[in-house]
Amino acid sequence: MLFADLLWRTGWSASRTVLLVLFISLFLLTAIGCMHGVYGFFIRLFGTQRRITALKEFKSHKIDGVSTAIIFPIYNEDSFRVLEGLRATYESIERTGQLDRFDFFILSDSTNPDRWVEEEARWSELVRDLDALGKIYYRRRLFNEERKSGNVRDFLNTWGKRYRYFVCCDADSVMRGETLVDLVKLMEVHPTVGLIQTVPALVNAESLFGRIQQFANRLYAPVFIAGLNYWALDFGNYWGHNAIIRTEPFMQFCDLPQLPGRKPFGGQILSHDFVEAALMLRENWQVWLAYDLAGSYEEAPQALIENAQRERRWCQGNLQHSLVLFAKGLRGVSRMHLLLGIFGYVASPLWLAFMLTFNWIYCYQKYTGLSDIPVESFNPYLKAWSGTAHAFLIFVICMVVIMLPKFLSLVDLARDWPRRKEFGGLLNATGGVIGETLFSTLHAPLLMLWHTRFVLTNLAGISVGWTTQRRSAAGTDWLYALQRHWGHTLIGLAWGWFTWQLDPGLFWWFTPVLVGMVFSVPLSVLTSRRSLGARAKAAGLFLTPEETRPPMELISLRSRMKIHELTGDEVPRRRVHVGLAAAVLDPYVNAVHVSLLREKQLNPVYAEHFLRIGAGTDAVRELGEKLLSGGPEKLNPDERMMVMADQGVMVWLHQQAWVRPEEKLAPWWRAMIRDFSHREN
Amino acid sequence: MEPALKILPDVSGEIAGRTLEEWNAAYVKVENYFHSLRIQNKPLLGQLVLRVLERAQRRAPAAPNRTATELAAEEMDRIVTEWFAEVLQTSPVGSEHTLSTRGRLALLLADMPGKWQDQFLRPGPWPQEFVEAMRESFFRAGPDFQLSKMTPRPLDLGPITTLTNLGKIPYVRIVLAWTGYALLLIALFWLSHGGFKRVIDWFQQNG
Repeated sequence: MLFADLLWRTGWSASRTVLLVLFISLFLLTAIGCMHGVYGFFIRLFGTQRRITALKEFKSHKIDGVSTAIIFPIYNEDSFRVLEGLRATYESIERTGQLDRFDFFILSDSTNPDRWVEEEARWSELVRDLDALGKIYYRRRLFNEERKSGNVRDFLNTWGKRYRYFVCCDADSVMRGETLVDLVKLMEVHPTVGLIQTVPALVNAESLFGRIQQFANRLYAPVFIAGLNYWALDFGNYWGHNAIIRTEPFMQFCDLPQLPGRKPFGGQILSHDFVEAALMLRENWQVWLAYDLAGSYEEAPQALIENAQRERRWCQGNLQHSLVLFAKGLRGVSRMHLLLGIFGYVASPLWLAFMLTFNWIYCYQKYTGLSDIPVESFNPYLKAWSGTAHAFLIFVICMVVIMLPKFLSLVDLARDWPRRKEFGGLLNATGGVIGETLFSTLHAPLLMLWHTRFVLTNLAGISVGWTTQRRSAAGTDWLYALQRHWGHTLIGLAWGWFTWQLDPGLFWWFTPVLVGMVFSVPLSVLTSRRSLGARAKAAGLFLTPEETRPPMELISLRSRMKIHELTGDEVPRRRVHVGLAAAVLDPYVNAVHVSLLREKQLNPVYAEHFLRIGAGTDAVRELGEKLLSGGPEKLNPDERMMVMADQGVMVWLHQQAWVRPEEKLAPWWRAMIRDFSHREN
Repeated sequence: MEPALKILPDVSGEIAGRTLEEWNAAYVKVENYFHSLRIQNKPLLGQLVLRVLERAQRRAPAAPNRTATELAAEEMDRIVTEWFAEVLQTSPVGSEHTLSTRGRLALLLADMPGKWQDQFLRPGPWPQEFVEAMRESFFRAGPDFQLSKMTPRPLDLGPITTLTNLGKIPYVRIVLAWTGYALLLIALFWLSHGGFKRVIDWFQQNG
């Protein structure tokens, strides 16, 4: 109303109507966020019994005979990191004494042959290390149809009926054993609950960007999520990982249909999690958010560009939800979850449109020479206020709405002494909030431009290609940052020049938005630096509980990652076709690879896939011969994968590579044999 | 009884009809393979390689066209497979490839490189613990299958279905049909407003 009044005072026009509509939409979204914070703060202050962990006593419940699968769907990820996360989770469950109730599955969809072989080798190493044969399983699909949701479905179709529950983890997930046991107990004492989502804490960030995101997540999330749970309750949501799911209803109701129409909206549902929760709720199963269960962790991108790459994937998935939004039978709350997800991205083009419309009004006013017609405010309290004072009041209210949840999070921290200590004390936490606010002020306009681009390109059905990020140990390199941000810099400069021409006073009001754009390249590079992250840590800034008092699971993970980094295990990966070489030449890797292929053939679905790729045919044997005599470059990637998926040919290749005279082998093989023979075992 | 191995070259500087360089290359080849099996103990490694070369040298006179390396590599493969067959109590005939894979896997799972290097390729009897570790080792990538099939339930998208169906409408044909209809109306209008008379006149003038 205040904003409408202000527009009224400056003379109503069509463009002002547009401005008002945009303001209402944006303010509504910000206010929803703010209200989550306010409600969350008071809920945490006074406590509530309306949470899944407080509804019934569950700790003493026995889970003997209850089987739960913990699944890790992966896709070309760093297998060392994935398996070390799994190891930390496994050992943590072992400490609870409940290991017998859980089985672990690595569900690979990797398409990179080097990654494939590395996963197999590391898996076999892990199961031997932990003596976990028959506890930790590995399965790779030959065809990764329908991506992650297809991967999970394949698991459920093959083994789902063996398990009453399954816990879906991400490649970077780590979960505490007690938390997993608690989740199973909660499911047991609440038979009408279909899914319980935990709130994963961001951990293990080292770059400045990563540590700022991590700090924001750890400080603000408790308040926000408590607010979210206040209205969602048993109509909660699923975020795709670190959640326990009741297998039977999931298999019965949550297989996702293909959406009608063409891509990017039609076809496979990309962001499957929200829809799966909505389908679960549609069938009267409850979905809860166990926001007060600690011990659920994940990692976040370490740089702005990496973050934007992830945002792009999510944007497409969330926009696709607009097709599901009006589906019959869905709960109203599910529609709300879907709508908020969509607006998470649509808000950016709206914000941009708001600022552009404002510029247009300002420009029109200046160049037409029309003067503002001062009209009195229709609010009796503002009649004596000037237009400028009125506008400033609105600005202050907007700032309060944006900043209040952050302030309340600090107050929430201040009244909790042990937690305050975990954040390095109230002073450090306040410094962190100020730093995070400054950074997010610079980051927000970049996200606005990125999201706008993602939304528009998705609507137009254009796929935006992203090359693999070039990262050094130090972080994003300057040239790559320039390639990704030159547009932002240019827009910032042009917009700055334009507003300066219009009115230098206006320019200064726009500087918070423009500075982030103009300095996007150094911002992107510097915040990706691990050294700056370490300096901030040394200064006590952006500390999180997992940094000051790391849990056992993370200590184990970090120490193993550090040793891996220092021992230079990364070097062989840089060579081309190193996975293929290992699968053929290394007697043990070859044996593991072939055994896995043999076992897979017992499943009729996979047997049919083997037939589809022609495994066991003479054609593949001929490719094997070509591989030996000409080297891997003589085969295209599909042919290489065909050879690697044929157990008979892989055994034959192993024998031939070692028995055949060197002159009958391609020079590449001779070099690889030398490498294998001289490496330190 | 097999004749003793001739380890010194004859007067022509050859062993079993091959030069010392050839046997050196064969040695390296066999050593490389055993090294890839993680046999790290040098004296043991040397002994195993010599055992393979010994068999290769015995075969050498009967195969004058084969190089020392070829013979040694084949013997190495044979010795290893025969030993797997003995330890795992499986016939090597007709199942060489399966046996080779199973044997290597058993070595890995029994931790031969760490615990049992001294037993590798040694004739039996072997320590009971080693035999059990080799024979009982199994590899399972997953539990027993319990196959089922998830099927998506129909999802009525409501008003969105209408919108998505808009993409399927044959717009070109519709535009063509309406254009044709409009042209027909224009033609009728023209004919009924003097056009018809003009057509008749034109035909009369042109005979």
